[in-house]
Amino acid sequence: MSFITTSRIIQVRNDLELLLILAKRDISVRYKQTFLGIIWAIIKPLVTMSVFLFAFKNVSNIHDLGGYPIQLVIFSGVLFWNFFANTFQFSSNSILTNSNLISKVYFPRIIIPISAISVPFIDFIIGFIIYIILSFSLNYSISLHILYLPVAFFFLLLFSLGLGFIFASFAIKHRDFLQIIPLIVQYGFFVTPIIYTSNEIISKTWFKYYLFINPLVGLVEFFRFSLIQGYQVLSFFDFFVSCLLSIVVFVLGLLVFKFKESTFVDYL
Amino acid sequence: MNSIVSVSSISKKYQLPLSKKEASNSFVNKFFSKKEYVEYWAVNDVSFTLNKGDKLGIIGNNGAGKSTLLKILSKITKPTTGKVNIQGKIASLLEVGTGFHPELSGRDNIYLNGAILGMSKKQITQQFDEIVEFAGDQIIKFLDTPVKRYSSGMYVRLGFAISAHLDPDILIVDEVLAVGDADFQKKSLGKMKEVASKEKTILFVSHNLTAVANLCNKTLHLEKGYVKQFGETGEVLNNYLSAMQNNLLLQDFEDIHVAPGNDLVRLKYAKLTPSLIGAQLIADVRSSLKIEFEFWNLLDNQNLNISLHIYASTGECIFNVGTEPKILNKGVVQASLLIPGYFLNDGNYIVSFMIVKDKSIVLFNFEEVFNFEIADFREETTWYGKWPGYVRPQFDFPIQQVSQKI
Repeated sequence: MSFITTSRIIQVRNDLELLLILAKRDISVRYKQTFLGIIWAIIKPLVTMSVFLFAFKNVSNIHDLGGYPIQLVIFSGVLFWNFFANTFQFSSNSILTNSNLISKVYFPRIIIPISAISVPFIDFIIGFIIYIILSFSLNYSISLHILYLPVAFFFLLLFSLGLGFIFASFAIKHRDFLQIIPLIVQYGFFVTPIIYTSNEIISKTWFKYYLFINPLVGLVEFFRFSLIQGYQVLSFFDFFVSCLLSIVVFVLGLLVFKFKESTFVDYL
Repeated sequence: MNSIVSVSSISKKYQLPLSKKEASNSFVNKFFSKKEYVEYWAVNDVSFTLNKGDKLGIIGNNGAGKSTLLKILSKITKPTTGKVNIQGKIASLLEVGTGFHPELSGRDNIYLNGAILGMSKKQITQQFDEIVEFAGDQIIKFLDTPVKRYSSGMYVRLGFAISAHLDPDILIVDEVLAVGDADFQKKSLGKMKEVASKEKTILFVSHNLTAVANLCNKTLHLEKGYVKQFGETGEVLNNYLSAMQNNLLLQDFEDIHVAPGNDLVRLKYAKLTPSLIGAQLIADVRSSLKIEFEFWNLLDNQNLNISLHIYASTGECIFNVGTEPKILNKGVVQASLLIPGYFLNDGNYIVSFMIVKDKSIVLFNFEEVFNFEIADFREETTWYGKWPGYVRPQFDFPIQQVSQKI
């Protein structure tokens, strides 16, 4: 009996090592043969922010930012969204992009979509550092609310990964799901308060239902609550609902994945 | 003795769409036409058990279910029905260098591939120098170069070197021996034998009967997904070879109305006879092949010739040879061709021939008249890899020392 337990532990340790090495692989391959390398992780969110800043000041009639600095609202939103979008996309595609592994070697398949978070995570860390710099340069200090950041981030991770598990599982047999992913990533950006705040839509009658449909609304406001000094648009109860929904999506994703994983190789 | 691998009546079903077009999978087509699938049992009711230390060779023609069986045993895919019980750590080598990333260096890929194959980081670090040394001098120089810059030989050597240092209880191997040059082959085979002596259980798929005979004590012969025979290697191989010999390479049509062809020509008789030397049971690379045909010519005064094609199983035409054109009258026409020994390499080949009028008009193309296999044969060799090429001529190729000075 104790023999089985020991080999189990060894197995789990080996699986974790595999997870780390696959994550490392994705990171080290990401900016190979580029001149600027990791600097791209800095350039991309800055460009996105600048474009929307331009749109804001010159085109849009979104105005009620509740007095919070527009740069911080947009940059934190973009930071949040990029992590969601990349994690969701990478993990959804991961089984197909690693089909050579799946069809040749056995290991717990869940390792593949989980390892896909490495690149978005590194990008997030870099983006976060830029955010801090940006925040201080606008004379906005970071409050103690920053302690909530890991919590908000954790639930964002659960939601993104859970959605990724679901799409990865279905996309193997029905590639239609791969067509839906860019739609969610592109248009979700606008229907979620990423480049505006929930203040803009909070007075609508449908808003309280909308919170239940799109957990990203509560999560992004929770995220900003932890980052921007004095920022609070939604209540803790709203955050709580969104976090709960993230757990539901994650568990659902895990179940779907577990249920489908043994058939993956037959449809690759 | 405890059985370490026990497989009880496993079957694997695949559903293949009936229509050739993948497009029929789309919603619109599904909506308007009934889903039609052909059920295909790649593996059918296969059972066997292995004890610790057994070396199992798995043989059979293409499509016999060997690869599917290996995938089930390595847990890559699940059987539709049946049970597999394996005690111990499995490593499956279904290809060399699984998961190598072209952008990463040789060093990084050793860690990556090792982890994928189930080695711990510690194990890899401990054996790192050994792996590199086994892979050869060339690799040492290019250890920090991305593997996309490696020659295919280096790539394969590095991949095999990692695999060779796995330490599982059960090793599942799919013809990975057939890699690299002769020198490296010798080394790999030595390593395999070393592993074999270590009380390891090995499952080994191969087309190379010589390698199976040398490495395996038990053999499983699969045919169309079913177990044809499972038992001691010598016995199974003997039956396998004699079955192949009895596989008639003859087509004989008594009745002109059922014979293949059209209103111009119909096939009457076709036979392929390999010359067998001594105790030889099946055609191998040494054998000459005699091909004879007879066909009914249904029109008078025709200028006809026969054009014969031999194709590899992969579809490439190996050669095309034709008879002289001749004025022929209604009745039976006969032709024969002798392909000398030491010409075709080992492999599966397909013979087709067409009857041509006035050197240009094809009257009828008799496709796939024969589908035959040529076995490998080697003497005094330590190399069991696939001999490359479609032909295997023995040209005069003298070598001599012309001087003792350097």
